[in-house]
Amino acid sequence: MASEYDVVIVGAGTGGYVCAIRAAQLGLKVAVVEKQKALGGTCLIWGCIPTKALLEHAHALKVAQSAKEWGLTGFDPAAVRIDMPAVHARKDKMITGLTGGIEMLFKKNKIDWIKGTARLTGGKGVEVTSPDGTKQPLTARKELVIATGSAARSVPGIEVDREKIIFSDEAIHLKEVPKSIAIMGSGAVGVEFASIFKSFGSEVTVIELLPRLVPGEDEAVSAELEKNFKKRGIKSLTNTKVTAAKAGATGVDIEMAGGEAGGKTQKLTVDILLVATGRGPVTDGLDADKLGIKMDRGYVVVNEMFETSVPGISAIGDVITMGGPHYQLAHVSSAEGIVVAERIAGHTVKPINYDHVPRGTYCEPEIGSVGLTEAQAREKGYDVRTGAFPFKALARARMAGETDGFVKIVADKKYDEILGVHIIGPRATELIAEAVLMLRMECTIEELIKTIHAHPTMSEAVGEASHAAHGAAIHI
Amino acid sequence: MPQMGESIAEGTIVRWIKKVGDTVDRDEPLFEISTDKVDAEIPSPAAGTLLEIAVKEGETVPVNSVVAQIGAAGEGVARDTSDTGDTGGKGAAGAGGAGAGGLGGKGAVSADATGAASAPTGKTAPAAAQGDGTPAARSASAAPGAPETPAAPAAPTSPVPPVPPGVDDLRRQKSSPLVRRIAQEHGVDIRHIAGSGIAGRVTKQDILSYIESPPAAPSTPAPPAGPVTAKPPAPPAGSVMPGDEVVPMSVMRRKIAEHMVLSQRTSAHVYSVFEVNYSRVDQIRKAKKAEFEQRGVKLTFTSFIAKVAVDCLRRHKTINASLDGDNVVYRRETNLGIAVALEAGLIVPVVKRADEMNILGLSRAIADVADRARAKKLNPDEVHGGTFTITNPGNFGAQFGLPIINQPQVAILGVGTIEKRPVVIDDMIGIRLMGFLTLGYDHRLVDGAVADQFMADLKKGIEQFDPSQV
Repeated sequence: MASEYDVVIVGAGTGGYVCAIRAAQLGLKVAVVEKQKALGGTCLIWGCIPTKALLEHAHALKVAQSAKEWGLTGFDPAAVRIDMPAVHARKDKMITGLTGGIEMLFKKNKIDWIKGTARLTGGKGVEVTSPDGTKQPLTARKELVIATGSAARSVPGIEVDREKIIFSDEAIHLKEVPKSIAIMGSGAVGVEFASIFKSFGSEVTVIELLPRLVPGEDEAVSAELEKNFKKRGIKSLTNTKVTAAKAGATGVDIEMAGGEAGGKTQKLTVDILLVATGRGPVTDGLDADKLGIKMDRGYVVVNEMFETSVPGISAIGDVITMGGPHYQLAHVSSAEGIVVAERIAGHTVKPINYDHVPRGTYCEPEIGSVGLTEAQAREKGYDVRTGAFPFKALARARMAGETDGFVKIVADKKYDEILGVHIIGPRATELIAEAVLMLRMECTIEELIKTIHAHPTMSEAVGEASHAAHGAAIHI
Repeated sequence: MPQMGESIAEGTIVRWIKKVGDTVDRDEPLFEISTDKVDAEIPSPAAGTLLEIAVKEGETVPVNSVVAQIGAAGEGVARDTSDTGDTGGKGAAGAGGAGAGGLGGKGAVSADATGAASAPTGKTAPAAAQGDGTPAARSASAAPGAPETPAAPAAPTSPVPPVPPGVDDLRRQKSSPLVRRIAQEHGVDIRHIAGSGIAGRVTKQDILSYIESPPAAPSTPAPPAGPVTAKPPAPPAGSVMPGDEVVPMSVMRRKIAEHMVLSQRTSAHVYSVFEVNYSRVDQIRKAKKAEFEQRGVKLTFTSFIAKVAVDCLRRHKTINASLDGDNVVYRRETNLGIAVALEAGLIVPVVKRADEMNILGLSRAIADVADRARAKKLNPDEVHGGTFTITNPGNFGAQFGLPIINQPQVAILGVGTIEKRPVVIDDMIGIRLMGFLTLGYDHRLVDGAVADQFMADLKKGIEQFDPSQV
């Protein structure tokens, strides 16, 4: 006899577990199937949380190394080193605390965690194979939700051995700081690890196929990051394709084409090659296709209400596609999980506006952005005006000793609409929150100008950028 | 011209009670106005001498226009055009943020209205509309068809507390800075756009598609161009025969005419008539009449009907509702309008939160507003915010009436004459005190079944009235 629940969710990542909690809050009986030893999925176990933890360590190291400037004494700043075992201990302890926190939330909301791997069996049923091999059938009375997420993915021709040629999953666990590391791909994952390992003391090379770093961001942001990386000694090879990578006893031999060398092949040997070229869907063993669920290149196809082609089965998070590109971000998955939970509970729900999704890149300096880039806005035919304000003109940034970067606002001249905000610099990922609300609330530049920003804060840069968009900032 | 409630854009000076040179006390009647909602005597906001009358009797001016100046005897008349222009201009243009109309009201009569004690002459009170350029035309709310808003208590002399926003304001605020900007550039009244956002918020997408393809036949009347009320299409003029007397319509008559035609055009009127046995109520009334009279209240059939009606409204929320564009607004409060016939027309004062009153309180409140309606002593906000109306055509013997809905409400109860009639009871004919009740309702929102359930409930409530409630 199958255990019956209102909702059965496959996967306890930030999509699945948030969906579960919201559904339970709305009075539904919920089970979540998760095969990992902990709840939280990629975000908590291999992604957002561990990488950002490492970045905090990198920041602490930076402060210690510049002790003289900060007036810290009693030790030799030149001798300060990162202690990787201690770093991992702190990071792992924190992760255990957070994943345990989700278990507590499950208990509080009476959500059953069914440990094991799920296979769809037809209708709204799944069969869970537990780690000891026993099988358990589950049935969802109302809805089955697929939230199986994604995994790092390489590109054709590059074999990942998870020893020397690695994914971010391994990068967060490296026991020693590699002397040299090359990173394929300069999206968020790539530049974050570039930043971390440079701080930790590695020699870092970033290899990007496209003409600029963080190619999804506004061009000005890319240029600023590249400038900053150069200053920090991170080598950026843009317009460059990795044609071969071979792990040997001494390290990884990489062959590249394009870039500065033109068509000629360049060679590079490093201790570690990190492949950060993107993530693909996880549906192994799910048998979703056998049930007739429409798939597209491995992704589960859903409509804007996250319904698959099979009634009663929804999907959220990194595993889905809606036709166009879909952000593989923890907060997007959570938002989708909430929409689905509320829909299942019978609430009236509205589709998510993906134009208003904030993007955070936690390299140094940080990048936070939302909405259209200047180029995208022009492409869409807006009469664009922009305003920017550099952090170096800001008191608070000087106090922090972090004066690189700027706030850039992209707006429409006709109606004064704020179309996008692009921040690179200190606390950029925090500062972007105000901009997300601006877009969500359909704010005009004029309204932003009239919005008072506290002094002295980093957020003043946002207010100043709005003045700049209408003519001139006050402090430059 | 005082802001007599949020939805009033202009007023006509009917009569100057004081003349230039007269001394007036604070709160002494200064002039009499007629607006589209109410006729009222306006008390002086300050003590002093009436220095100048700027608006003659019979003239209509926008709210916040300076109509007179009061100062010390012999003092010159202040000419501060920029200030008055500012105030009047903003009032006329109707720009204003939430509650601005109400707040603006405090500077109303003129110059000295608010600051009389400390500054006997001169400056226009500073309390103009406070919004910074909110484009939606507030003034439009005075036009026919604009949803009525609960009025701001805008007595000209007392400081006015901020009022909770009315439907208009809620609706307008449920847009965004961007939408208001687009609306301003295209001259679009946001209230006419159905919002697809949370709680009916009008989004950029909504207004852009509205501009791209405006509805061919708008469900609400077209937005008026300015503060002056848009005229409905002119009917064929009645030709004047020799000897006919031609008299301009009073403001009240004109407004009634406009509102009635508007209501007919707006609502899909349907009627349902129920016959009600008042015998039991009559017994209770006779038994309690003296007791009520001792407490200064007349216990009438209307008291009972009103009491049962408000109780029923609480159970039938669709009757106590309004349509606002594509949204249904279910009223939290039950504010009972009571139609009062006046010599020169008709007015519907409102008993606020009638559902919170017992029959004594309700009777007293109804008598109070009716008396003051006849004496032209109503506050303007007392004719706003009704959620359901009772009218009494039976007063003069009509068996039943087919009343027109008082917009933006969706139902109106007509009380027919109450008289002894032969009725069949248990296959015998008996004499009972009977009367018809008519519910006029807006079929756009209220279906026959809903209306009839309400009426059946109402009939039962009257026929089986619990004497312990009295």
